[in-house]
Amino acid sequence: MQSLAVISLNLWQILISLCNLVILYLILKKFLFQRVKKVMAQRQEDLDKQYQQAARAEEDALANQKKWEQTMSGAKQQADEMLRSAAARAERRSDQIVADAKERADGIVRQAESEAQLERRKAADEMKRELVDLSTQLAEKMLQREIRQQDHHDIIQAFVDQIGENDDRDQ
Amino acid sequence: MNTKSKLFRLVDLCLLGMILLPLVAGIALQVLTQPVSGGLEISGAYIYCTIPLPFQELPITESQVNSWLVMVSVLGLCLYLTHGLAPKAQTRRQLAAEWIVEKADGLVRQNMGEYFKGFAPFIAAILALSAFSSLLSLIGLYPPTSDLNVVGGWALLVFFLITFYRFKAGPVQYLKAFADPPLLAPLNVISEVATPVSMAFRHYGNVLSGSIISALVATALQGLSAIVLGWLPGVLGQFPLLQIGLPAILSVYFDLFSGYLQAFIFAMLTMLYVAGAFPADVYAQRQARKQRKTQPHTN
Amino acid sequence: MLELAIGIILGCCALGAGAAMIAGIGPGIGEGNAVAKACEAIGRQPECKGDVTTTMLMGCAIAETTGLYALVIAILLIFFAPGRFVDILMTAIG
Repeated sequence: MQSLAVISLNLWQILISLCNLVILYLILKKFLFQRVKKVMAQRQEDLDKQYQQAARAEEDALANQKKWEQTMSGAKQQADEMLRSAAARAERRSDQIVADAKERADGIVRQAESEAQLERRKAADEMKRELVDLSTQLAEKMLQREIRQQDHHDIIQAFVDQIGENDDRDQ
Repeated sequence: MNTKSKLFRLVDLCLLGMILLPLVAGIALQVLTQPVSGGLEISGAYIYCTIPLPFQELPITESQVNSWLVMVSVLGLCLYLTHGLAPKAQTRRQLAAEWIVEKADGLVRQNMGEYFKGFAPFIAAILALSAFSSLLSLIGLYPPTSDLNVVGGWALLVFFLITFYRFKAGPVQYLKAFADPPLLAPLNVISEVATPVSMAFRHYGNVLSGSIISALVATALQGLSAIVLGWLPGVLGQFPLLQIGLPAILSVYFDLFSGYLQAFIFAMLTMLYVAGAFPADVYAQRQARKQRKTQPHTN
Repeated sequence: MLELAIGIILGCCALGAGAAMIAGIGPGIGEGNAVAKACEAIGRQPECKGDVTTTMLMGCAIAETTGLYALVIAILLIFFAPGRFVDILMTAIG
């Protein structure tokens, strides 16, 4: 059969080729672009979900870490407190012991002092009495006849008392 | 995964057949129907049959049939690439499909702006149809793009799109632009019509001139080899030995390079013209102004 | 006489086609200029190679339009016009 001329225009052919292009556009849109876009959107969604999961997991891990750190620091604090309270108790105890010991020592010293004072007083009294006796005897021996014994004794006693008081004040 | 299942492979095979069989069918149709011509013959598409229609009878030509074959092949390619798409499984064909989609999207977004991002499949369709149609000449078929009617149809569609977007951007401005200097109104109309005409003639002329020059060179080489090697006895003398080589190089330029380049240029011009016909930001501004103007009335 | 007339028609159509393709000079010079400038631009700014190449190809395609119009005229003159002119001649002679 014959061929078309090299240049020829045909309305229906032009319309057909126009429709061809439109149909190919629809084909590409429906079978290539929409499908690929759908899959890409799905992948994006999956990626987003995974990112969210990862973010959540990280958050959890961070929270865990914080909690753990808190626990750790709490434990340390507790230990510190325990140590401190033990130290305080021990100190208090030792203070008490020292105070007790001091008190006792003070008591002993005081007792010893009072005893010594008592002893001294006793000794002083003894001495006084002996001195009185001695002086009385001396005076008796010296002045036996002219002075009455009782009067002399009183004078000497008063004198000795005065001496004793002076002695006491001095101490 | 069921990517290795038997059914999957079977469907794959069917789709591969869908891609390749149209080409085989085209070659078979050409061999069966067209007489082998001797010598130089430059003519349009072969007419298979004619259908009577009003205005003009419709000849079903080689270019129509070949472009339908290309469309079936592209449909098969789409189905093959998107067969077994999965959000996770990164097969090579899925990568190819995503690459195509992303490239088309990027091209459209870069040249037309965000408003026209729905044009990506259309631009991809122009590129695919034009490039594959031109490439048909590699396997010896008649390239539909060297028929003015085919390219004219595409250019007419682009012209409709341009006019539609001009009209949408502002009907009054569109009509006013014709009579910008009132004396030049006819020239404005002509320049408006010249856009699709020049687009169609550019694509058609490039592909046709390529095939004409290829045919001329092939015929000349045949004659040359008949003169130079004609004294050899038997088949050796008739065999056009010089036809090996040079036509292949020409074919690389005219079929491969020029085919791709013309497809790219057609798509590029479509994008530029359509985007230029509709300045999206100006349109948005005017729309906002109009809304502001009508709001006091509604309140 | 009729043969002479048809011969003149065919010859003039061929001459016209050849003359039409003189228009191929224009796009040749224009595209040469465009490519030269593009090469200069790429030499000055090699990082813009992709953009410059795309723009240059677009410009070349548009500059080629006049050449392709000439080609279409030449094709019309070779394949389409002789038959039509001979038809016109025949109807005029009757």
